[in-house]
Amino acid sequence: MKLDGVDDVTLVKLIADAHTDAIQELYDRYNRLVFSVALTVLGDRAVAEEATLDVFVRVWQGAKTYRPDRAKVNTWLIAITRHHAIDILRWQNSRPDVKSLSLNDVSLSNGTAVPDTEARVEISLQRARIRSAVAQLPAEQRQALVLAYFKGYTHQQIAEVLKQPLGTIKTRIRLAMQKLRETLLDEDSDASESP
Amino acid sequence: MVNDLHVFEALPAYALGSLDEEEARTVNAHIAGCHLCRQELDAFQMVADQLPLAVPEARPSRELSPRLMERIQSLNVGKPAQPVGWRFPGRLLPVGALAGILLIILLAFSNFLLWQRLNDPEVLTGPLGMRAITLGNTAAAPSASGFVIMGADGQNGVLVVDKLPPLEATREYQVWLVRDSSYTGGPVFAVDETGYRGVRLQAPDSLLSYSAVWVTIEPVGGSPEPTGEQVLNGSLFNP
Repeated sequence: MKLDGVDDVTLVKLIADAHTDAIQELYDRYNRLVFSVALTVLGDRAVAEEATLDVFVRVWQGAKTYRPDRAKVNTWLIAITRHHAIDILRWQNSRPDVKSLSLNDVSLSNGTAVPDTEARVEISLQRARIRSAVAQLPAEQRQALVLAYFKGYTHQQIAEVLKQPLGTIKTRIRLAMQKLRETLLDEDSDASESP
Repeated sequence: MVNDLHVFEALPAYALGSLDEEEARTVNAHIAGCHLCRQELDAFQMVADQLPLAVPEARPSRELSPRLMERIQSLNVGKPAQPVGWRFPGRLLPVGALAGILLIILLAFSNFLLWQRLNDPEVLTGPLGMRAITLGNTAAAPSASGFVIMGADGQNGVLVVDKLPPLEATREYQVWLVRDSSYTGGPVFAVDETGYRGVRLQAPDSLLSYSAVWVTIEPVGGSPEPTGEQVLNGSLFNP
């Protein structure tokens, strides 16, 4: 079955009907995204690959539970990936390597994604927007944000890891999120106004 | 910061999941009845949902794709699949090793269970001090059954469950060890199509120091404390 032009939601429906071609296509579309998130959380390629496999097997087993009205397919995949990777991290009981946690490597390029479908174009644009927005944050706000989101740390844990007062961490995270929200909203408005 | 009227300042951290448990509960209770804060949260949640797109892009190895399809095919024909969703702390253990350990333990105990008739059927003590604890099911999983089997010193144990209903992809079962009204979160796991699963239990302290074991339904990845329906439970107290 040729699935290149099939949208993500239809693809998940096909997976729910046990079409193996569909899970292969979904993997081809999103393996880099899932693996990148897993690698960011886990910091180890081998473990991140196992986590990536787990995520797609879960999708295979749980595709019937996907609700398109609640989240896009890529958001759903990311949520499963992040929760699973943080769970692995929790059980590894590993200490965070603070130096590896910044998003300094974030570039403004679109990477190697080939925009050959509507979904891929959208993902590429989203990537560029969020990377640009994150890159504009002060480094200390990015660091707190990454510990919170990608490591599943609470304010208190972040304060301990970074050896900063709790109030400072709360402020950094709040300001970072508010700034990201404003930046992304502004870009949404600009995009909708452009011809 | 959370106040009596609204919880605006806590919403960015709530969307990231970085509030502590008490703060998260407060926000959760508030947004359940506050449309304004719910709308604000949705906006921050949208930001949080996009954060993974900011990570540097990486490619998995080429071997991963055939491995996935191999695993999918094995699931398709009903062969035992590689377990999904749980790891031994700090390392990965081959499926065969876990299955072998479980089989040996279960075979040893099956003989023992056949002839031993105790007044208290919930805890059976076997040779060399090993214990098997029967878990009771709840209305949420009326057909389910489970055992915790542990060594004499309580340093290692295995939870075996059967006929637990498979869950939707956003939910997993989670094991809890209970002591003095506090909960130690254990592994999360999914069950196969028959509801069966074996899970190794390890805890900061001996399993014998806990009073009870629970299995609950939680969001994928588990929760800091039990939030979902309980499906199995049992007492770990020595007889």
